[in-house]
Amino acid sequence: MQYLLLINEDESIYEGENAAKVMEETLAGHMAFAQALTGKGVEFSGNRLNPAATATTIRWDHGSHTLHDGPFAESHEELGGYYLIEAASLDEAIEWAKLIPVPGTGGIEVRPVWPMDE
Amino acid sequence: MADGRVSAGSAIAAARPRVVAALAAQLRDLDLAEDAFAEAARALIESGAAPDRPQAWLYVTARRKAFDMLRKRRAEARLLETMGAEPDMAEVLHLPDPIPDERLRLIFICCHPALATEARAALALRVVCGLPVAEIARVFVMTEPAMYQRITRAKAKIREARIAFELPPRRLWQERIEAVLLTLELAYTAAYQDAAGERDGELAAEIDRLAAMLAELLPGEPEILSFAALVALARSREQARVDARGAMVPLSRQDTALWDCAAIMRAQDLLERVNRVGGGGAMRLMAAIQLAHARRLFDGTVDWPAIVALYDALLAVRPDPVVAINRAAALARAESPAAGLAALDDIPGRRLARFRPYHAVRAELLAQAGQREAAGDSLRAALSLDPPGAERLYLEDRLEALPELGD
Repeated sequence: MQYLLLINEDESIYEGENAAKVMEETLAGHMAFAQALTGKGVEFSGNRLNPAATATTIRWDHGSHTLHDGPFAESHEELGGYYLIEAASLDEAIEWAKLIPVPGTGGIEVRPVWPMDE
Repeated sequence: MADGRVSAGSAIAAARPRVVAALAAQLRDLDLAEDAFAEAARALIESGAAPDRPQAWLYVTARRKAFDMLRKRRAEARLLETMGAEPDMAEVLHLPDPIPDERLRLIFICCHPALATEARAALALRVVCGLPVAEIARVFVMTEPAMYQRITRAKAKIREARIAFELPPRRLWQERIEAVLLTLELAYTAAYQDAAGERDGELAAEIDRLAAMLAELLPGEPEILSFAALVALARSREQARVDARGAMVPLSRQDTALWDCAAIMRAQDLLERVNRVGGGGAMRLMAAIQLAHARRLFDGTVDWPAIVALYDALLAVRPDPVVAINRAAALARAESPAAGLAALDDIPGRRLARFRPYHAVRAELLAQAGQREAAGDSLRAALSLDPPGAERLYLEDRLEALPELGD
């Protein structure tokens, strides 16, 4: 079963005084995470995303749409990246998700993929 | 006939956790496990049979019913293989312990930290204890359809997000045990929020049963043992906490002759086991406080300074207004009503004004200090905050007993 791990976090942590250092450490954390997955033979994919300021949202309202400059959800925590992993259960997916580095405040949302054949 | 029905009913209730847990672990489907058990229970009642070992009888019959239901569905042929051969009733009844003990697995699933605490409590009471949805809804002050939906949603999440039916590895137990404790405490608080309310419900008995079961399954967990002790102590006062008119009787005024000595001894035994195991936190302190009150049964005294010290320790691990309010009440007994009132005034938080226990305790301490008018104001404030029936009667009695109010 596949789970999507959505990384939502406060982007400002990557903009402060120690921005370069935080970014470096976080990337190292992601590398370690990817290596751990590979080491256990877990199939996965993932990407980081450019900051929320680069986002464009197409807002729909019952058939009509408007373009909106910015992310879908206006909050302090923005979607910053994701992993798609293979896991036997939610418990296993949560165990992996806990290993994703979040240097400031934020949260990892764990969502089971709904396969097309179900 | 009536007796037969009663004993079948209690045998079914006693067998439920173990049988449903074993079925759920094999079937990996809470609904199917519940349905199969319900069918087996109905068969037991309808047959009028009185098997020597109702638990084994129900297990074998429920497995058969599950086989039938799965066959009807046809889809889950593979699962039928993993369940193994259909057992022979006569054969199984002679085995020493034919039912695999999966109760802990079932509790861990129902109290999974990925489920909302309220949903966990409802699910555990429904699936493990078999409490009717209407009863659970009543306790949590919800409509029956809303509660039904909450339980259905929780079950759907277990199924769709695939919450594991396996026992988690040992290193994860601490988190899971905390989730179980949080669930049980919520159910316990709901059961005891109305002193009289539990009399028409089975909830208090079910929580006692569940806590005792967990203490048996996790004998090395101090907080689980402490929770079982806490529940046993609450149960020990069941006959004493409401008077003949249905008014609440506060702990310090309860007639100790009405306390259940056996339940108190059970709690004492559990807490002695906690002492041997060591460790523990908030639950252990709360149980110790309640046990200190129970001492009144044996020598008529209460060691109030010791209780204040226990509340101090509890406040350090659980800085919450209820604890602070109870600490102030104990301090009033240990030192003076004025000391208690001063402690009450020191509790931070603007929302206290809307908190009934704050006004109730304040009224008590003001009355002890002889400030009857102010006590009356506090009692009226408590009464305006929608107390449950038994507490309302008690507060009204207190108001009437303040002599100067009539002037």
